[in-house]
Amino acid sequence: MKRKVSLFVPCFVDQLLPEVAVDTVKVLRRIGCAVEFPEDQTCCGQPALNTGYWGDARPCAEHFVRVFKNADFVVCPSGSCVSVIRLFYPELLAHSSLREDAAALASRTFEFSEFLVKVAAVTQVGATFPHSVTYHASCHGLRELKLRDEPLQLLRQVDGLKLIEMVRSEECCGFGGTFAVKFADISAAMGTSKAESVAATGAEFVTATDPSCLMHLQGILGKRQAPTRTIYLASILAQDGLAQKSSAQERP
Amino acid sequence: MSQTAAQRFLQDAAVKSADLVHREIIRRGMDSYDVAHLKGRARIKDWEAARQKCQEIKREAINHLDRYLLQFEEKVIARGGHVFWAANSEEACTYVKNLATRLGVRTVVKSKSMVTEEIQLSPVLEKAGIKVWETDLGEFIVQLREEPPYHIVTPAMHLNRGQIAKLFREKLDPAIDSDDPVYLMAAARRILRQAFFAAEMGISGANFLVADAGVIAISTNEGNGRLCTSVPRIHVVVTGIEKVIPRLEDLAVLWPVLATSGTGQGITTYGTLIGGPRRPGEVDGAEEFHVVLVDNGRSQLLADAEQREVLHCIRCGACLNICPVFRHVGGHTYGTTYPGPIGSVLTPHLNGIKEFKHLSYASSLCGACSSVCPVKIDLAHHLLQNRRNATEAGATSSSERLIFRAWRYAMLRPRMYALGGWSVRKALRIIYGLGLAGSILDPMRVWNRYRSPVPLPSESFRARWRKNLGAD
Amino acid sequence: MVQTKEAQTKEAPTENPSRDRILERIRAGLRTVVPEPPALRSGQVIFEPVNNPLERFQQECVGNLMECTLTADSAASARHLSKVLQSLPEGEAFVQEDPALRRLIELAAPARPIRWSSPSSSEGAPGEASQATVTLAEALIAQTGSILVTSSCGGRGASVIAPCHIVYATVAQLVPDLATALSRVSQERKLDSNSFACVISGSSRTADIEKILVQGAHGPRRLVVILQTAT
Repeated sequence: MKRKVSLFVPCFVDQLLPEVAVDTVKVLRRIGCAVEFPEDQTCCGQPALNTGYWGDARPCAEHFVRVFKNADFVVCPSGSCVSVIRLFYPELLAHSSLREDAAALASRTFEFSEFLVKVAAVTQVGATFPHSVTYHASCHGLRELKLRDEPLQLLRQVDGLKLIEMVRSEECCGFGGTFAVKFADISAAMGTSKAESVAATGAEFVTATDPSCLMHLQGILGKRQAPTRTIYLASILAQDGLAQKSSAQERP
Repeated sequence: MSQTAAQRFLQDAAVKSADLVHREIIRRGMDSYDVAHLKGRARIKDWEAARQKCQEIKREAINHLDRYLLQFEEKVIARGGHVFWAANSEEACTYVKNLATRLGVRTVVKSKSMVTEEIQLSPVLEKAGIKVWETDLGEFIVQLREEPPYHIVTPAMHLNRGQIAKLFREKLDPAIDSDDPVYLMAAARRILRQAFFAAEMGISGANFLVADAGVIAISTNEGNGRLCTSVPRIHVVVTGIEKVIPRLEDLAVLWPVLATSGTGQGITTYGTLIGGPRRPGEVDGAEEFHVVLVDNGRSQLLADAEQREVLHCIRCGACLNICPVFRHVGGHTYGTTYPGPIGSVLTPHLNGIKEFKHLSYASSLCGACSSVCPVKIDLAHHLLQNRRNATEAGATSSSERLIFRAWRYAMLRPRMYALGGWSVRKALRIIYGLGLAGSILDPMRVWNRYRSPVPLPSESFRARWRKNLGAD
Repeated sequence: MVQTKEAQTKEAPTENPSRDRILERIRAGLRTVVPEPPALRSGQVIFEPVNNPLERFQQECVGNLMECTLTADSAASARHLSKVLQSLPEGEAFVQEDPALRRLIELAAPARPIRWSSPSSSEGAPGEASQATVTLAEALIAQTGSILVTSSCGGRGASVIAPCHIVYATVAQLVPDLATALSRVSQERKLDSNSFACVISGSSRTADIEKILVQGAHGPRRLVVILQTAT
């Protein structure tokens, strides 16, 4: 029987990086999941939560819970959004009538790579990507969802992929949501350090479990006219050797 | 028109973020710490169990703070020591100054104490005509430079040997002609030795106040702390009230954990325990022993059910070392006594949320600090709570409050959200199409200052889905 | 101008009005109950148990940049002491007043002047000019390669003032770990009879300049342990 997955697409992916979600769907379908996309979804509430406006984040979270209440599994191509749902919804909705629904939903909500490896128990997804790739350990996936090995297990099974380790792979890239704008200088400095670690590997591509990290890094790499390109994890796994054009982010 | 702390922070952060020399010095220092730290952790069989144990010890101490402080005080007094409880910086400084002037103190030698920085003790003593010598090498260096410590454990890590040699040449001895660290340490030793033997008063901090034994515990490496607390006839300890631990045996795990987290050592060279003035029959030691217990906002934190655990901090510096923000802007940028994640969490409690909330926002919430704290303080979570507390206290700008009000309105209405997203993309496409990326008309101009613009997709994911992805 | 020590019973409340206010604030704050997560499972081993204390102590000494020399008896110890003293620049050595050390010094017969610790005179403490100090220890700690001293071991300055500190100890004084050493200090009430104790794990050092380790900061540059196997 097919696993039914409800796809949650982070707002910035929906609007700015749709390929991330398209490739996520592709891979989920390839491993035999039925994928639906509840169109009433909007945002998990992270921007308001992180800026301290919990009163505004709360109704947003309640909306999310209502939209996904009946999902078997919620899968999301973003570690940070999933960590909000799993780790912060209980606190945020502690006094809400949807408190129990939220707790139940949290236990069925997964980041993309953890769903593949821990729920579907799949590491081989039939992907081909004959390029060198380095891995940035996005912070929320790493420290809040405790994803250390799952993304690497998936990458190691990709045909032709050469995985190169970078130094300080666990150091934050500097995106941090509104931090990137409010503290632009620090964010850029952190991004530059990360870009240097990436460049030192000589890899053609850098990947991560959070497309926000990649969006920020691509901007920094682009400004430096560095050759390395960012590519979201699912976009690597979606490559089955048949497509003519890689769905890596286009450089402007 | 004076700047706010937040404005100053942004300015200093901008300067430091672009300072590649500074970044390289800090990176080298932190890289060497990373290696030492991992080695140190490997010496401990079960690091997570060690963290858990340290958390439990501090939790027990803080949750019964009054009992343990009284136990400590009783034993110190029984041995002929004095204990003074200071509500704030002013009371603490006044006590020490009055003590010094009453006893005819002309020279003070100080070993490292962040609390004395916090209460700004040295200027008070100097104004009273007392010469204060910082004797920890790092503190000695920044004292000569007339700047605050850069880091709570390694105060001069932002300087290279050339800068230190030049400083010594200019301020101490024009004959200094080498930048070899061994040579520079020997020079400092020569000069400070005279101070140790001339000073009437030694001032130290305390890493721990051991309640059952009634002693202070100090972890050091250089020996300056030992000399400050052995040679002068008056020994004054300035410490926060939260430094208490219940039992002497607790040091068996706290000492190695503090050393591992602070410098990667298995244990610091000296673990000193002092309980009072010299006893009859003892060869040497201070004739008077005073412990100044400083509150300065700490007791208020006790009532905060969420953040009481912030008082568990043992001031090891590990969170500073691992923090990517600290690594890029450095310790001085924070403009507070305590920099780094612990400083960002603690300072609003000690000095006001309105003025210092910006430090809690100056973080990407990466969580590295929480993962490394040896007493398991969830610092990243506390940063988030500070942000929430700031908005609830009305300390954030009204325009920002309005923006999120509007954001919330849109997020509850899927069609409005979709339309909003479409409008933004459309507007950006027009603006970029006109070549106005980065201009005042570009809403993404801050983003685009440092990054090449995000390529704009022709349609959103949900539009794609509706068109041709829905069918399985 | 030394203040005579007054008999201390209890601080008069009026001299420190903040004391009661702070205590009251603490008690008020603690009335907020904070939920406690489950405690550590008992029996969890944090540190690797020390099976061979002598071997471990010697290993740790190497890592701590301490000199540890095993000797068979007091004659051998005296010879080693003599050797160490001869390697030092001219100047007096300060020695803890103790029968065992009296015997050792007699056997070693050093050429340099010896000053003995004494509580009754200002000459009884090591001075700026001391080139070395020689003391006993309360215990040796294998886990960390440490020596435990108290004020009974020649005073506070004896283990920090001179550039070379020599410790005369026996293997019987070895304890496996910090926990044992500290628990013994508690049980034997060492901190009631001594105003000072110190766990010393190496020569003084600093890494304040570019994080480069420099041995010999304000304290001794050399810490020498003469470890005698026979008592």
